[in-house]
Amino acid sequence: MRVRVLACALALAFPLAARAQQQPPAPPVPAGDAAKGKATYVTDGCVECHGGVGQGSRGTGPRLARTQLPLDAFLQQLRQPSFEMPPYEAAVIPDQDAANIYAFLQSLPPPLAGKDIPLLNQ
Amino acid sequence: MAKLRNEPKFGRRGFLKGATLAGAAAAMTPPLAATAQTQAPPVWKPTGAQPMNRAAETQVPPHEAQLTTQFTGSDFMVDCFKSLGFDYLPANPGSSFRAIQESIVNYGKNQAPEFLTCTHEEQSVAMAHGYAKIAGKPLINLVHGTVGLQHAAMALYNAYCDRVPLFVVGGNGADATMRRPGVEWIHTAQDAAAITRDFSKWDDYPASLQHFAESTVRAYKIAMTPPMGPVVLMADGSLQEDPIPEEAELMIPKLPRVALPEGDWGAVAETARLLVASEAPVIVADRCARTPEGLARLLELAELLQAPVVDAGARMNFPTRHPLNQSHRGRALIAQADLIVGLDVNDFWGLVHSYRDQLHRTSKLSLKPGCKTITIGSSDLFIKANYQDFQRFADVDLAIAADSETTLAMLIEAVKREIPSDKKDAYAARGQKMAEAHMKGLAQARDDAAVGWDASPISTARLCAELWAQIKGEDWSLVSGDNSVSGWPHRLWTMDKHHHYIGDGGGYGVGYGAPAAVGAGLANRTHGRLTVALQNDGDLMYQPGVLWTAAKHKIPVLFVMHNNRFYFQEVMHLQRMANRHDRDVTTAHVGTEIANPNIQYAKLAESLGVHGEGPITDPSDLAPALQRAIATVKGGAPALVDVVTQGR
Repeated sequence: MRVRVLACALALAFPLAARAQQQPPAPPVPAGDAAKGKATYVTDGCVECHGGVGQGSRGTGPRLARTQLPLDAFLQQLRQPSFEMPPYEAAVIPDQDAANIYAFLQSLPPPLAGKDIPLLNQ
Repeated sequence: MAKLRNEPKFGRRGFLKGATLAGAAAAMTPPLAATAQTQAPPVWKPTGAQPMNRAAETQVPPHEAQLTTQFTGSDFMVDCFKSLGFDYLPANPGSSFRAIQESIVNYGKNQAPEFLTCTHEEQSVAMAHGYAKIAGKPLINLVHGTVGLQHAAMALYNAYCDRVPLFVVGGNGADATMRRPGVEWIHTAQDAAAITRDFSKWDDYPASLQHFAESTVRAYKIAMTPPMGPVVLMADGSLQEDPIPEEAELMIPKLPRVALPEGDWGAVAETARLLVASEAPVIVADRCARTPEGLARLLELAELLQAPVVDAGARMNFPTRHPLNQSHRGRALIAQADLIVGLDVNDFWGLVHSYRDQLHRTSKLSLKPGCKTITIGSSDLFIKANYQDFQRFADVDLAIAADSETTLAMLIEAVKREIPSDKKDAYAARGQKMAEAHMKGLAQARDDAAVGWDASPISTARLCAELWAQIKGEDWSLVSGDNSVSGWPHRLWTMDKHHHYIGDGGGYGVGYGAPAAVGAGLANRTHGRLTVALQNDGDLMYQPGVLWTAAKHKIPVLFVMHNNRFYFQEVMHLQRMANRHDRDVTTAHVGTEIANPNIQYAKLAESLGVHGEGPITDPSDLAPALQRAIATVKGGAPALVDVVTQGR
């Protein structure tokens, strides 16, 4: 169990997600554009810790592909991340860009179950 | 022990010594020193000295007419090395040890040790690092004076942090009057080993051949006594090259059998009582299993107690598919534990704390109140001040200063005595829970690995699964760390033999990976094992020359490139800084990208005499490329498969 690597734990945000529910409702976020979101996901560094297709990595950041986080919790984690993830303030990634990223992550195809891939059951 | 009488009454240095003494005397006398620039220095004459015979200076003295000799000190040095059973000597050649090198080859018949040609001292010493982790014993390295030892320093530091024995011999010339003018001076130091003293266990600069023999054996003993580590011995040029006086009576001491440092009996018995009584114990092993015996002992202890084991991964401590292997949920277990026993855990503080690297760095103890903590480790037996690899102070309840692998035998016996019969059901129930958690973790790992299965660049999970399919039927040995590929081998492969994994470099100095893999492959070659390295691209570019060494000396290693085209750890650090400063978050690639142009690793390998495949970007191309490369490796030669991968 190595702890020296960076951990950009975006989806470790469940406690914060709960906290977010106690705060005043955030203004509605516009619908996202998955294509634009994919570009921002790569250029703005999400890809580094969470992988090119949101697969995540042990020690750097969890899987984001088709994340179960609701959009407001996603935004909360982006702005005020728990644990190790670097913060992305609105000046850096505006809400619209964040919504685009979210749309990209939701657009990713559902992965196969591990048990259905023979190479993973050797 | 006879004393060497290496002091000829009138040797070839006699005149030069006199001249040197005269200069020294002048420098030590202030009035004379003050006038030295305007007056000829006085001639120093010892009491009773005879007038100098100028005529003799113009003739070649008889001893100078002798131009050859049969045996020199270097031959004796080689016999010292042979007495310790070194198999190989990886080195980049250097004139400061020219006599030893010639003696190795001609006097020693280039066998045990055999000289292996290396392209850099960081490479040669890192090869010894990897070798020792498989073979359980050091190689011998020769390094060239000041420059070679400086090149080797990083590899020494890695081994020092990793508690791995190295035996490094450097050339040097103490007698200034004997040095060749020019470069030999530049390659000489008054205290040559000083540069590595902060991260070696011991060094010496013997002044006689007998001194050399004793220091050679002493150094080996020190290197091999836990905590193991590097030793440095300087071999003086005159000692190497001067004839061995006929009257010299030299002997090489025997290497003692060493009883390894074992824990205090009372403390071990207390540990056993606590382990037996604990309802939620966790055993954490890091640099515990130095040998296969360590793995077997840890397995026995865990099964006796049905206690979970977290393998922190610096060694192959515990089988990956064993039901009690709970490495995948170490943090959660530690947070619920009532007893934690750390076995040669280098960073116990980090183990029991969470840490947050934000603008304001914070940490928090992860333990629940009342949790007892015990460490068994040899780091408490040896520590130095300057380099901070010893990590933050761990305020444990009981620290047993001892080698954990050795102490495990005693602990197992103590546990056997302590276990009451009425505990068996509780232990069995705990074991059942662990087995279920283990299977759940394995299923989760497989699901995680499935995400991005067909991605290009290729996911590290896919890479490791494809590789596992090709090697699982072989007697294989993974000789690289696997953190940079997200630990997939530990999560997906069945690792149950000690040589299945050797951990990482210890000091996290980039440049360890490729040469250590070749060194480990050298050790595995004896056993006919298939040596596999997951090779980071940035690491390979530190010491690509080691591929040539592997080709030249027919050291079979399968290099599978994790070519993410970045210094990836640094990408993430730079991203963190840009975000923290609310500045441009799109620039983390500047200075960290290893692309544009992309390095053609397969071609690089081919140019160095190594079979090359790739670059592979389509995961469906992996299996046939790996099969071709493995065929080459099984034929006794190295091969490299360049795979373009996701970052982690």
